[in-house]
Amino acid sequence: MRKRLSVLVPGAGLLLIAAGTAVFAQFQSGSYGSTKTNSLAQTISPQLSQDGNFSVASFPSFATELAEGEGRAETQSFCAMCHSTRYITMQPPLPAPTWDAEVNKMIKTFGAPIPDAAAKKIISYLQDHYTPENRKH
Amino acid sequence: MEQRRQNVSRRDALKLLSAAGGLTIVKWSRSTFAEQLPVNQEIEPFTGPGPNPHWNSVGPYVGEPQKAPLIGLTDRPVQLETPRSYFRSVFTPNDAFYVRWHLPDIPNRVDLAEWGLKIEGNVNKPLTLSFSELTEKFKPVSVTAVNQCSGNSRSRFQPRVAGGQWGNGAMGNALWTGVRLRELLDAAGVKQGSVQVQFQGLETGPGPQGSGSNVFLKSLELSDSALDEAVVAYLMNGEPLPMLNGFPLRLVVPGYFATYWMKCLTWIRVLATPDENFWMKTAYRVPDTLRGNTTPEEMKAGGVKTIAISRMPVRSFLISPDGSSKIPAGMNVTLRGIAFSGYGKIVKVEVSEDGTKTWREARLGEDHGAYSFRTWEAQWTPKIPRSYTLAVRATDEKGKVQPDEPVWNPGGYLWNKIEKQEIVVGKVSGGESR
Ligand code: HEC
Repeated sequence: MRKRLSVLVPGAGLLLIAAGTAVFAQFQSGSYGSTKTNSLAQTISPQLSQDGNFSVASFPSFATELAEGEGRAETQSFCAMCHSTRYITMQPPLPAPTWDAEVNKMIKTFGAPIPDAAAKKIISYLQDHYTPENRKH
Repeated sequence: MEQRRQNVSRRDALKLLSAAGGLTIVKWSRSTFAEQLPVNQEIEPFTGPGPNPHWNSVGPYVGEPQKAPLIGLTDRPVQLETPRSYFRSVFTPNDAFYVRWHLPDIPNRVDLAEWGLKIEGNVNKPLTLSFSELTEKFKPVSVTAVNQCSGNSRSRFQPRVAGGQWGNGAMGNALWTGVRLRELLDAAGVKQGSVQVQFQGLETGPGPQGSGSNVFLKSLELSDSALDEAVVAYLMNGEPLPMLNGFPLRLVVPGYFATYWMKCLTWIRVLATPDENFWMKTAYRVPDTLRGNTTPEEMKAGGVKTIAISRMPVRSFLISPDGSSKIPAGMNVTLRGIAFSGYGKIVKVEVSEDGTKTWREARLGEDHGAYSFRTWEAQWTPKIPRSYTLAVRATDEKGKVQPDEPVWNPGGYLWNKIEKQEIVVGKVSGGESR
């Protein structure tokens, strides 16, 4: 069962994203909140109740800076379902055929539901910005 | 403005110094000006296509629940690397212990009043054990063991390979306390003809059922002697596990790479046929060759036989000094570090001051067991001001020594090349080093 949450946690300044928090009786998972990198504020201990629930705050998530260009919108929407697009920017510059293979792996092996046209656009986008020849940031 | 503050010009610095005045100040200011004041430059956001030149990965520091600021590789799912300085202690603190998940739906909350460990599959008596049954009905055992990600140091690979771009900090050492896995299996009664035991935790993703993006699963052969040493741990360094390290229960497989150390372990499933799920059949496999080596050309040609990754090859690290500041010539400093092997005890650690040409033996620290970090120390008195290439290599009880050759395989696994560190020694007044 998946609940979409979009809650502002007062004080913490965290905006929970609708990524798909799953809530079960035994456990709850996948809650991420957006925040800024490079700001590591101290936090205070939360109020704890004496029931069986052992919980932690949402995991902070960051807006990944993807290079500007044709295909970025498709990449942002189709490549952030199972992981953030940090999975892309964390990589070293990869040769063009490797990006082709990666996108195909996401579709064929991991079952990413990406229409052919969008997949083509994403591959071109990654090949235009994330290879040893052209990667800038 | 930030920029200007960092680049205090030489003239500004002189002005500041002369304002302070005094002959002695001029004296040390002169040697300071032989080189520029260091500039605190932000680390680049990615490395490559060459190898990552830093000890750690290059991500920003991030603040995750129950964690000290650690190096963030990815935010969803969470992957965090432990900074080098934490390895000064033989036990890695829980709040500094690295984190590696594969799928985005990882627990923020576990209700221990409801939660239970299930032992099921090809067993005579399927069981669900509550948390208190685990801690009270079974004899607690403890083992000190290193947990290292299969892809630790992947960012050293040439050519680079896709995957988590870890530096050296995807590892940690802890005292794990829990119940022997074999005792739990015996309690459920493994049926004749069973071949493997599968582990599943609370790590899932939105991908389609039956695919690797839906659930993370790992299995081990029932006949594997590693299972005899495996512990289902509810304590880590004497404390409950941090949520991100697998609260409430984690499988500990001493000597084996962390891929098998299932976090938030909730299902132990005895299998009558080998596990063919993605995380066993396709991922975490290494070429069935010496050191798991192959080449991109061999991979392209096809037919490279692979096996599931298992034990960790011998490794060692220099932790301090770390090269971030100079050492005065003629000063005696202590070189400190750690070593470990998944094949058993560390028997020897050697250090080199000349980039692997000559070696001398370091002194080993306290023995915390065959699968623990073993600390080491060596004294060093560099006399001549120059740059030195320190190197460290370990030997394990099977006689395996770290080589100076790199490793390459498409998964980016099993890196254990000799580590090196440039250390700059600076001139001091008086003495032979002048
Ligand atoms: C259906 C789920 C899903 C979607 C959608 C998806 N991925 Fe992935 N991706 C995964 C999984 C699972 C992994 C492995 C995660 C891990 O091991 O940490 C992964 C890993 C990666 C990696 C790391 C290298 C590797 O192969 O493990 C890259 C790069 C990557 N994805 C890029 C993309 C891009 C680009 C897209 C959009 C075209 C995309 N992903 C969409 C599931 C997905």
